[in-house]
Amino acid sequence: MAAGVRRHQTLFVVVALAVLIFSVVEANRALQAAEAPRRGGVLLAVIGADPPSLDPHQESTFANIQLVAPLYSTLLQIDPYSYPRIIGDVATEWTISPDGLTYAFKIRQEVRFHDGSPLTAADVKATYDKIVFPPEGVLSIRKNAYTAVERIEAPDPSRVVFKLKFPSASLLNNLASPWNVIYPKRYLDRDPNYFKTNVMGSGPFKLKAYTRGATFEGVRNPDYVVRDRPYLDGYKFFISPETSVRAAAIRSGRAHIEFRDLPNAEVEAIKKQLGDKIMVQTTPMTGQFGIAINSTAKPFTDVRVRKALTLGLDRYTAGKVLYGITGLKLVGGLMRPGSEWALPDAELQKLPGFWKDAEKSRAEARRLLAEAGYPNGFKAVLKNRNVKLPYQDFAVFAIQEWRKIGVEVENRPLETAAWFNDGQNTGNFELIVAPTVEYMDDPDQFLGRYVTGSTQNWGRYSDPGLDDLFARQARALDHAERDKLIREIQKVVLENAYYMPGLWWMRNVVHWAKVKNYVAPPSHYTNQKLQDVWLAGD
Amino acid sequence: MRTYVVTRLLLIVPTLLGVASLVFVIMRVIPGDVTLLILGGDQAGRIDASQIAALKHRLGIDQPLLTQFGTWLWGVLRFDFGTSLWSGRPVVEELLIRLPLSLELALAATIVSVLIAIPFGMLAAVRQDTWVDYLVRVISIGGLAIPSFWVGILVILFLVIFFGWGPPLEFTPPWVDPWANFQQMVWPIVTVGYRYAAVTTRMTRSSVLEVLREDYIRTAWAKGLRERAIVIRHALKNAMLPVITLIGTEFAFLIGGLVVTETVFTLNGVGRFVVDAVAHRDYPVVQALVFLIALGFVIVNLLVDLTYAWFDPRIRYR
Repeated sequence: MAAGVRRHQTLFVVVALAVLIFSVVEANRALQAAEAPRRGGVLLAVIGADPPSLDPHQESTFANIQLVAPLYSTLLQIDPYSYPRIIGDVATEWTISPDGLTYAFKIRQEVRFHDGSPLTAADVKATYDKIVFPPEGVLSIRKNAYTAVERIEAPDPSRVVFKLKFPSASLLNNLASPWNVIYPKRYLDRDPNYFKTNVMGSGPFKLKAYTRGATFEGVRNPDYVVRDRPYLDGYKFFISPETSVRAAAIRSGRAHIEFRDLPNAEVEAIKKQLGDKIMVQTTPMTGQFGIAINSTAKPFTDVRVRKALTLGLDRYTAGKVLYGITGLKLVGGLMRPGSEWALPDAELQKLPGFWKDAEKSRAEARRLLAEAGYPNGFKAVLKNRNVKLPYQDFAVFAIQEWRKIGVEVENRPLETAAWFNDGQNTGNFELIVAPTVEYMDDPDQFLGRYVTGSTQNWGRYSDPGLDDLFARQARALDHAERDKLIREIQKVVLENAYYMPGLWWMRNVVHWAKVKNYVAPPSHYTNQKLQDVWLAGD
Repeated sequence: MRTYVVTRLLLIVPTLLGVASLVFVIMRVIPGDVTLLILGGDQAGRIDASQIAALKHRLGIDQPLLTQFGTWLWGVLRFDFGTSLWSGRPVVEELLIRLPLSLELALAATIVSVLIAIPFGMLAAVRQDTWVDYLVRVISIGGLAIPSFWVGILVILFLVIFFGWGPPLEFTPPWVDPWANFQQMVWPIVTVGYRYAAVTTRMTRSSVLEVLREDYIRTAWAKGLRERAIVIRHALKNAMLPVITLIGTEFAFLIGGLVVTETVFTLNGVGRFVVDAVAHRDYPVVQALVFLIALGFVIVNLLVDLTYAWFDPRIRYR
């Protein structure tokens, strides 16, 4: 009897175990099937602007790179799944000489352009020659990022060598720029401006059609170098400058994704309506909204006045107030908070404008103004771009803050062309909203604008000590030494209030849950190749 | 009649020359530099003065202003409006992409507005100070007071929130796929047509009211004619002159003036093209579009003037 019960118990346990194992195996298989990349489909995206031209070498707007990045390859790239790690694209491996003056890259031999011709080291050299040493009449808006490069060589079809005049700590980052797409040499030889209106890349997609102001379409490249990629049959961007229209397009399913950013109010409405059909990836962005102060215009020639203005801006309250309506949230210095080169909070909070006690900051601001001869404050004009999000809301907040220290500032929105003209070209401003947005947290990219004579130095100040610090950090290959110099640069700029950082941006990438394998990095310029992105079934 | 038409056609030349000169000057006086815009993008680039000079030379805007103007006018005479400074494509080619959409929207909105405005305007006049009149006036005042783009956004949100459906984002010509075209165009047509109808209804109502007080209408009543004959045959035709003028002007405006509606409904029309070109300081595009829109206005005005004679046989052209 007891033996029979035991036999039954054993049988029960065996059957239960078998059922359990079967269930686990089946569940795992189902999970794998559910998450196995699915081929086909066209990714539909909405974007807020048209590109000025199709040539990323000559452009600096998301409206260019988001559209054309899937059509091209680059030498290196930022890892789509592990920002800010640098990985190869057409380069399979590379070596750096011990003195930091020679960078040698091995080029994949099986890469082909969309016309079937092979991509070789000669194409990489021709591309970088155009960027670093542009011929007469050819524009290269990033050539100053490569001042260390003396020459580029292609000793054989599979090797490219960059020879430097002096070490450059940021060179690998700059070679992973999403903007530096590889062009075929023979097209460049024929017409270096060919790519302003044409495309000939080697990326996972080929250009299908572009109707300015309406749509931009790419179709799968069957000869793409990465086997079995891309998963998508194609992608299509719908161009719509109106934010609410782009949000409505996502809500109605006319579009799957908005890669740049949607304001929180729209995001909440979309989530409320579509629930788990929608995913929102919120990431801190490599972009900051601040204010340039014209150091050549009175009363801003006086450091006490500049300091008073930055002290008068309560950034901590701004982050709470503005986040919901603009996406501006994080308080930080000149490098993105939380990033490798950011000033630690303890150091930041000792600098003017970053004290936690807003009343104490305002009292100090009023004292400095009185000392500078403005006990009753003064009036000034803040020039701005006539774009609501986040330019206007940010300015309105700053203005009401300055009123508390007796400074009356008028917000003067300008059309984009006039804003560029007054800020960058002529310096015709007292205060101007001047954001800084880059593709990664690289000190050369973010701090180059504080150097004497930089076209991005809208404040037009000159500090030889700062210039020296910048040059030294750019050459510093030792991480600790560079970190020290970068902290010093930030302190000099902030203590002298050469520039007034406002808030760092948070980015909401909204997409349908069926869009798989896309990870939103901190920059809206990177991870746009769509090589591994796929669409799940409905 | 022939002399009148020829004179009016000849008058087009100085009018367009004046428009062309004005736009040319305005585009160069307003602040902003196309080269900086092209080079700087949305975050300002690292730009050398030599690069700016090279780009100016390539775009041909380093030439003296008079030379630039003369070159442009010579091109216009040959129907060559130059190339866009931004896209590098011929302006005419760019325009032809957008013109069918704008024409369809303008034509359909005009038809919708005429179909609504004339019967309802007439009805409101005939039933003056009754509930019919009040209702028509309230609806038409609503059309005037509420901006079209706001109505457009409300329409889109209504469709999206209550039906989870939004209009297509891409224009499909009616001869390619009439159903897809209908799905996209019906909403902007209704939105624009409503505002347009509101203006025209009010004009029709006041014009018909004025004519109904004329002596010859009183005579018609005295003769015992039926109301329908009096209103349609005698009053309406004579009341149409100001209405036709208004319809003509509005139609010409719709071709290039629907920037916000086009933006809301993601329509790649002429209106958005003009505004983009102004914002980008794309001189050849702005000059060409303003020139062609002015030409459209002049031609529509001429056609309107010529229709006057049909509505009012007393009118003679000299």
